[in-house]
Amino acid sequence: MNEVSQSESKLAEWRERAIAFEQEIQKAVVGQDRVIRLVTIGVFARGHIMIEGDVGVGKTTLLRAVSRAMGGDFVRIEGTVDMMPGDILYHTYLGDDGRPRVDPSELLRLAETLPVFFFNEINRARPQVHSLLLRLMAERSVTAFNRLYRFPYLQVFADRNIVEREETFELPAAARDRFFMEISMAAPTDREARRKLVFDPVFQDVDTLLERVTPGTMDYREIGGVARRIQESVKASTTLESYVLNLWQGLTRPASVGISLPDVDVSMLVKGGASPRGLATLARAARVRAWLEGRDYMTPDDVKDVFFEVMAHRIFVDPIHTLRGDEPVRQLCHAVFEATPVP
Amino acid sequence: MRVGLLTILSLLWAFPAKADDARVNIHSARPFGYFVGDLIRARVEVTTSADATLVAASLPHPGPLSISLDIKAVEIHATMIGAEKRWDLDLVYQNFYVALDARNIEIPGFELRFGDETVPIPAWSVGVAPLREIAPAKQERPEDYLRPDSPAVFASETQPERLAITFGALSILVLGAVGRDRAWPPFQSRRERIFNALARELATKAHGGANAFPDAIQSLHRTIDRANGGALLGEDVCKFLARRPEFASLQPSFDRFYAASRSEFFSEDKADNYGFKELLDFARALARQERAQ
Repeated sequence: MNEVSQSESKLAEWRERAIAFEQEIQKAVVGQDRVIRLVTIGVFARGHIMIEGDVGVGKTTLLRAVSRAMGGDFVRIEGTVDMMPGDILYHTYLGDDGRPRVDPSELLRLAETLPVFFFNEINRARPQVHSLLLRLMAERSVTAFNRLYRFPYLQVFADRNIVEREETFELPAAARDRFFMEISMAAPTDREARRKLVFDPVFQDVDTLLERVTPGTMDYREIGGVARRIQESVKASTTLESYVLNLWQGLTRPASVGISLPDVDVSMLVKGGASPRGLATLARAARVRAWLEGRDYMTPDDVKDVFFEVMAHRIFVDPIHTLRGDEPVRQLCHAVFEATPVP
Repeated sequence: MRVGLLTILSLLWAFPAKADDARVNIHSARPFGYFVGDLIRARVEVTTSADATLVAASLPHPGPLSISLDIKAVEIHATMIGAEKRWDLDLVYQNFYVALDARNIEIPGFELRFGDETVPIPAWSVGVAPLREIAPAKQERPEDYLRPDSPAVFASETQPERLAITFGALSILVLGAVGRDRAWPPFQSRRERIFNALARELATKAHGGANAFPDAIQSLHRTIDRANGGALLGEDVCKFLARRPEFASLQPSFDRFYAASRSEFFSEDKADNYGFKELLDFARALARQERAQ
């Protein structure tokens, strides 16, 4: 067996594990198959993931289930308004002798083996904390105790409460851009899933629920290598490359491809974003999606499936549309796909 | 017998007119037997060298030639005869000479110019004759000489009317059918038959070159996009079929087409089990479903 077919066989084996990973999470989180698929794509693209949604829809449960299924250590931090960067890096306490002590926090102690750093309600933390997080996400390292701590396997999962505005600090555009995906999570629409969530006692106790998830479905230390192999093995044809470039033009200059939206002046809509880094991230996510679908080539469907979650938070619209939330961007993305022919 | 021979001779009657390097022949239908008001038709044939060019201004102009002779029409045609060119000048004269006895009148000659050369067309003559007298019985009142008008011919309009109404109604029906087919007003709410047009277009492309198949796939994609109201990707076909249930029975064909399109445009392994014939059959099936609506 040559090297190429060995690699293909290993990728096929890992695809089965990825499907099993999804099934494990589905044991704890019902009616959220699409969100789980997007999280899996994020995991195998080695991207940091933000989940936002209403209160009580299962964001935290989902991320805890993901952490458990991935195996390895797990650090969770609750964002609060008075939190400072030092609270994340240092553990301060009074020793047995009554003297103050400063030790590395759990995050630093587990740095070498930590695959999941779960930041709950990130928008409750101050911009100073966001700044630390930005460094951690971009470089997978922080400096503390006068030395550099590296996090070779780290993926940041964060959730954001979009309901409350009091004592919250919105993430700056640069911080949002560091997130590979922003996934919106709503309550399931399936009636049976809703019935289970309301009346099945299993879903009342999160700890018991998470015990249903088999820990360590995958070896997190291998995910980085698998992710690289996926990016190398899934091909993009010239037709697909041309399609993505056309989508890009549609996003940045919607009027030039004949896009019009009701009550919106499209020539003034997009003020920034949709950067080359964003498009490269889109291609990365689409490759993983193609791999999960069992293909070694990307299709426009792969691009479309991940487009909104990867690109929407990277498109910055005129502030006049801010109060309409993500609706103008959603409309724009939809219109761009409708206006861009393929193949 | 004599009259017939004379007629044939008169048809062929012609005489040559001399010129330096051009030959002129004049033919007339007959050389005699013209009454007042008759048209006198003549053909003047001028044979020149091949490079000769007729000066159009030298042709006779329609209008009165004399007090009793008009020229009504002049036509010229040129024909190559070997190394020479023959100019056929067809002339129509009208005779207004009221002859009291049979006599000849002269048709005046004229000159044609071919570049610097002038070719004279000689005068010729035709015989004119008086109208025959009549001798009706003597009547007391002048109006009695008048003959009663011919009775009006009665033409029944029933059948033409019926035919006109029938064909008018048929025309309106056909126009309505065409308008419905093409979604002209007031049928604009009816969907345009885009798949029908596509099937015809693909049938003409079937024997094209190497790019015919990818081009045909793209044409079908664009037509499906039009039917969808925007670009339709393979994984959205189910949503499209839910909106357009008339095509739902073709879902397996949709799936095969999109799989073939993926292989053709996005994969390195081209599908070899999907060809132009199946594509054309799919387009025709779409057209049939469209027509059934």
